[in-house]
Amino acid sequence: MSFEAPHIEYATLSPLLIVFGVALVGVLVEAFVPRRLRYLVQSVLALVGLVAALAATIWVATDLTVRGDGAARGSIVAEGAIAVDGPSVFVWGTLLLLSLISVLLFAERHLDGGLSAFAGQAAALPGTEAERQASTRGLEHTEVYPLMMFAVAGMMLFPASNDLLTMFVALEILSLPLYLLCGLARRRRLLSQEAALKYFMLGAFSSGFFLYGVALVYGFSGSTHLAAIAEAVNGRIGGQGLLLGGIALIAVGMLFKVGAAPFHSWTPDVYQGAPTAVTAFMAACTKIAAFGALLRLFYVAFGSAERDWTPMIWIVAILTMAVGSVFALSQTDIKRMLAYSSVAHAGFLLVGFVGLHEGGEGISSLQSVLFYLVTYGFMTVGAFAVVTLVRDAGGEANHLARWAGLGKESPLVAGIFAFFLLAMAGIPLTSGFTGKWAVFSSAAQGGAWPLVVIAVLLSVVAAFFYLRVIVLMYFSDPVGDAPAVAVPSILTTVTIAIGLAATVVLGILPGPVLDLAADAGAFIR
Amino acid sequence: MNISLSEAAPVVSPTSGDGVLSLLWLIPALPALGALVILVLGNRRTSPWAHWLGTATVALSFLIGLVAFFQLLGRDESDRSVGQHLWTWFEAGSFTVDLGILYDPLSSLFVLLITGVGSLIHLYSVGYMAHDAARARFFGYLNLFVAAMLVLVLSDGYLGVFLGWEGVGLASYLLIGFWHHKPTAATAAKKAFVVNRVGDMGMVLATTLMFATFGTVSFEGVSELASGASQTTLNILALLLLLAACGKSAQVPLQSWLLDAMEGPTPVSALIHAATMVTAGVYLVVRSNFIYELTEVGRTAVVIVGAVTLLAGAIIGCAKDDIKKALAGSTMSQIGYMMLAAGLGVAGYAFAIFHLLTHGFFKANMFLGAGSVMHAMDDDVNMRHYGALQKAVPVTFLTFAMGYLAIIGFPGFSGFWSKDKIIETAFGESLWIGLAALAGAGITAFYMTRLMIMTFLGRKRWEPGVHPHESPKVMTIPLIVLAALSVLGGVLLLGDWIVDWLTPVVGHAEHHELPLPVIAYTLIVVAVVAVGVAVAWLLVAKRDIPREAPQKVSFVTRAARADLYGDAANEALLMRPGNNLVEGLVTFDDDYVDGVVDGTGSAAIGMSGTFRRIQTGYVRSYALSVFAGALLVVLALLAVNLG
Amino acid sequence: MEAEPFIVLSAILFTIGGVGVLTRRNAIVVFMCVELMLNACNLALVTFARVHGNLDGQVAAFFVMVVAAAEVVVGLAIIMTIFRTRRSASVDDASLLKY
Repeated sequence: MSFEAPHIEYATLSPLLIVFGVALVGVLVEAFVPRRLRYLVQSVLALVGLVAALAATIWVATDLTVRGDGAARGSIVAEGAIAVDGPSVFVWGTLLLLSLISVLLFAERHLDGGLSAFAGQAAALPGTEAERQASTRGLEHTEVYPLMMFAVAGMMLFPASNDLLTMFVALEILSLPLYLLCGLARRRRLLSQEAALKYFMLGAFSSGFFLYGVALVYGFSGSTHLAAIAEAVNGRIGGQGLLLGGIALIAVGMLFKVGAAPFHSWTPDVYQGAPTAVTAFMAACTKIAAFGALLRLFYVAFGSAERDWTPMIWIVAILTMAVGSVFALSQTDIKRMLAYSSVAHAGFLLVGFVGLHEGGEGISSLQSVLFYLVTYGFMTVGAFAVVTLVRDAGGEANHLARWAGLGKESPLVAGIFAFFLLAMAGIPLTSGFTGKWAVFSSAAQGGAWPLVVIAVLLSVVAAFFYLRVIVLMYFSDPVGDAPAVAVPSILTTVTIAIGLAATVVLGILPGPVLDLAADAGAFIR
Repeated sequence: MNISLSEAAPVVSPTSGDGVLSLLWLIPALPALGALVILVLGNRRTSPWAHWLGTATVALSFLIGLVAFFQLLGRDESDRSVGQHLWTWFEAGSFTVDLGILYDPLSSLFVLLITGVGSLIHLYSVGYMAHDAARARFFGYLNLFVAAMLVLVLSDGYLGVFLGWEGVGLASYLLIGFWHHKPTAATAAKKAFVVNRVGDMGMVLATTLMFATFGTVSFEGVSELASGASQTTLNILALLLLLAACGKSAQVPLQSWLLDAMEGPTPVSALIHAATMVTAGVYLVVRSNFIYELTEVGRTAVVIVGAVTLLAGAIIGCAKDDIKKALAGSTMSQIGYMMLAAGLGVAGYAFAIFHLLTHGFFKANMFLGAGSVMHAMDDDVNMRHYGALQKAVPVTFLTFAMGYLAIIGFPGFSGFWSKDKIIETAFGESLWIGLAALAGAGITAFYMTRLMIMTFLGRKRWEPGVHPHESPKVMTIPLIVLAALSVLGGVLLLGDWIVDWLTPVVGHAEHHELPLPVIAYTLIVVAVVAVGVAVAWLLVAKRDIPREAPQKVSFVTRAARADLYGDAANEALLMRPGNNLVEGLVTFDDDYVDGVVDGTGSAAIGMSGTFRRIQTGYVRSYALSVFAGALLVVLALLAVNLG
Repeated sequence: MEAEPFIVLSAILFTIGGVGVLTRRNAIVVFMCVELMLNACNLALVTFARVHGNLDGQVAAFFVMVVAAAEVVVGLAIIMTIFRTRRSASVDDASLLKY
């Protein structure tokens, strides 16, 4: 019996393999490197690994082969399991950049008396002697770095998977480490653990739906490969019920990950409870990865059934924008407010997604969504990074009341945060405006007029709650003790600076990034 | 209506400029630089010189604008539209949005108005804000405003206009709330921002629709392609642009913010809420003439909005005791005139702009005069506490009187020429519109005379301990210049100069056949104005003015005092249901949330406060919502297939 | 033999699992219900593999088992920390984060 080894294109997959490799080495470091060196080794390893992966991504991007009619570039590798094409590489690059600046937040130790934001010993009970000891001995969980690397690897695999099974595995690889990361906060551990529990329970529940959807689609088409599914959908062989059920259940799993209503209910609780560095990372990167996968799955596999699923996405998009914008109005916790804001952004992204504009004239839906994801990612990480700076005796001061009068206390921090909020509200000359413009105009050209009108209407409502925080910071007097703004080390400073710079530059000169998104071309099939 | 397009709505086709005209970008760049320097360095570091820097940048822009204007004047009539490409904002494949400058007769007039009146008001503010600790910041914001406003009028496309549009909105918000230690100021600022956002929505949608229909948002492209679009698209475009204009120009139904905006420092009221920003709506309509010319629906809507606002504003102006609010009502009303004229199409565009300019002069003059009076009266704004001030502040009185004569349309003064033309054109269009405009003129005469008498004439009703004094030179010189302009503004109409000047932009109108000779209309207008003045004289000057506002008044007065129930309507329609929802929910964190946010947003917040209870904190209920969502998704998919 | 009974059975199992997640309070039981849902998926995958006569579905089922095992590790760790802190494994007790 002869054996034929599977053909793996190691070079093309190098970015992915580097990140997985770094994650595995990170686990070994935990086992073999002395405790006092681990922080340094792990953080440097993570940074170097991400930079290397980014370099590899750029190399892969320059080397994509043109296929077919030239609209799409790239190749299907690993025996058909992974598609390395323009959109994949674009998403990889974005994810790696955002992960890089998130690692800096993870490594920040200046804000809380020389300790990181992660629990000294997750196993120690909150409020016990053991916990205090862990704190005084300066213990910390350096496992967060390999966990994060695994999550990044999963996020990179998710939008690149060309096979429903790979997609499911990638979904789990990105989710499981995040569940754990959510529960590792040093302060407010009860909330953090609760966030982890909720995220885990609901995440597992929704991935059950996703998997059943995969099973149904497999039953419909007889294959888990996206190309084969596309062919079956096009020819409408097999049972219609299986296909529709499959699309619906897979959509549930996907929409859960992007935080679309009514699958958003985990977002505020988890974003609030998780350590802020983790919130920043997952708010930005999970959404990007999940949207990448959503686009690939629905454009490639279910593309010819678009008449079936567009009304459903319309409903979800409207609901998502409404829930995000309206619920955010009455929030009193800054992280919860930003969580609802990210729900609203998911809604705007869905508007771009469902515009289904092919490009040609103007800007294609894929291009606009990819661009929006970049703008969203940088402003989100930047905004959450600023949240880590405003502190009182009990850690971060997240209640909005504590932010009153920040404009007088620290004009710089308040100014930067106000800028991020204006960007999220979509004021011109910020990336938020260019992103919204791209998404809305592609949707309008795709003919989704009513949706665009509703989106514009709700973005006005959304502007109101961002404004509320600005009013609070500048036009109100501090209540009780003024909040203190901690001086961060170079790490958080760099993160905020990069977030700010990206938000400004993408607002003034979006051209190059829009070009990159256009160069990414279509998905290969 | 069958107008041949080439005559009615000229296509925008700019040529390139040389000499000073290639330096046009400096006009908005200078104030922007001033704002940047002042705001980045901060109030403390710049306070010794910020006011002079701010004034100098705007004055320099004015000089460049003046030279450019004469260059343009020297060009051929067909060659008076100068384009300058600055920067490609978006570029992705076939998708490009350029930002550039369009300097044509229309924008040249606006540049002169903005930088000219702007310099004077900057100068005035040096004195007016002398004792304010945050004066440098004030000048930073003021420069930011001027820069944004110049971007608005100099842009060669709708996206650029939108950029300036948002910029002036932001600056206006910052300036209204400048004295944010006053809670009324903070609330007014928020209200202005929110109402303006509603208008901005019209702008965003219009721009998106243009982009989707024409594939471009530049004036050049849109004016070329507009005639090819469907009638429905054009109607919707016109209405969306009108919505935008209503928000910015405080026209009914988005008028409510302007009266509250008077909480800002008086120079702000003069510059932003009288002379320039609030006229941006008129600019937008006139600039979009190539769209409005193609849609009768759009123009009719503009006329109706203008007519309603001009009457509503005038009535509100009659009942206000706050001198600035009375003037604000008058601003609404005068912009109503401009809107009305703009809605009349080719015949009216030039007169709308003419009135806009003269109004910019006399209203800025009167607002600054009001500021000077307030300065003298220890910042009291209640006219019932004024009286007999003509001796105490003679320069202010004389300059204010010039503005007064101009606004009521005293023959020979600038307002006389501009308003008379609008009323005449309105009669040419329809009797009813003409009558509304005429009635407005009468009411204007009434409330302005009332304001004059209550402030400067009659007996002293001063608060104890107030010792009025004339303002310093730095404040009176701008007053004098503006007063001169209020008197002489009418020269622009000499030999129909302004009409000819604007012809390349808005087209030329064939002369209307009026049922009566022109002189008859003029006489009628003057007679109506005289009646208004006389009534005011009899009702106000002949009687004693009580220091407290009388409560036993007619329904009309009560309605007018309540801004014609504009806020009450907002409240009944939006806030009450929201508040009722909230009541009974004891746990609602109202001591904080409500303390911060009240007013217009209450409805949405109330809803939000109710709905957020859905987020119970129980993971099982979240799972239920996921489950319900799954059902929703399945049903939506099935419904499509069955239906 | 018809494939339908197997699919119906898997749908019933999936529903039982789903309803269990909605109704049970004990985190461990909720978690077991999620596992039941995953196993229902496995049954469906294996059945469809037989229907189509290829191995994709069966391979997928193995992957799902591995993933489920990994999920157990993470899930039990989280439930354990919550239990140690609160002395209760009821998911309803963890409801500090709300509104």
